[in-house]
Amino acid sequence: MTHPRFAEIESHRPYLLRYALSQLRDGELAEEAVQEALLAALESVGTFAGKSSLRTWLTSILRYKVVDLQRRAGAERSRFEREDAPDYDDEAWLDELFDETGHWRQAPGAWGDPEAALEQSRFWQAFEGCLARLPSTASRVFFKREVLGEETDAICRDEGISASNCWVILHRARLGLRACLEKSWFERQAPVGR
Amino acid sequence: MADDVNCREASRLLSLGFDRRLSATELEALAWHMERCRMCRDFESQLRFIHQAAERFRSGD
Repeated sequence: MTHPRFAEIESHRPYLLRYALSQLRDGELAEEAVQEALLAALESVGTFAGKSSLRTWLTSILRYKVVDLQRRAGAERSRFEREDAPDYDDEAWLDELFDETGHWRQAPGAWGDPEAALEQSRFWQAFEGCLARLPSTASRVFFKREVLGEETDAICRDEGISASNCWVILHRARLGLRACLEKSWFERQAPVGR
Repeated sequence: MADDVNCREASRLLSLGFDRRLSATELEALAWHMERCRMCRDFESQLRFIHQAAERFRSGD
């Protein structure tokens, strides 16, 4: 049985393979990552309404498959463990955002009409950039939860962490994304009105 | 304890609300704070926006 958009999605395979190879430096692993990404894409392509950014969408799915594979294969394990460790204890990081009495050190800014941003392709570059700048676990967990819409239980199981760690990581990811979007997008937009 | 929710705790509960159903106690404490805090109301709408953006990102729009 062939999916109606199979050919269209398949046509991006060479590009995706190049991308995976650049990240994994292992032909077999790269093939595997691309295969898994394409399967995941075929499963959820029904909800994909875009035209121009199919490749971007596919790449973002692939990126997370790549990270998963790197983790599973234990490649660069020590680097990942070091990088991920602070995710489990975000108290210090929260102290940067909230003062001793638990108030915002800096109030969330005015975002004007944020929905308008959704129509601008440059916004999506900023969004992707902010996702990528999160600590790797936070980025991956947020992507699974909010972008792919996976259940928290399933995410915790795959990540091998407790539900409360999952929630802590998601809280951190949302705060981080919020701050990053404010800085890299909303503060740079011209004031609303003319 | 219901009265003791500060912005830091409110932000945690607001995020948690996207991942599991909040208990009656949590909801009550959160509502108490939200009624009084403009900054956290702004924060909440920004979280909703991020949620919406993530959904759009999936659909590749």
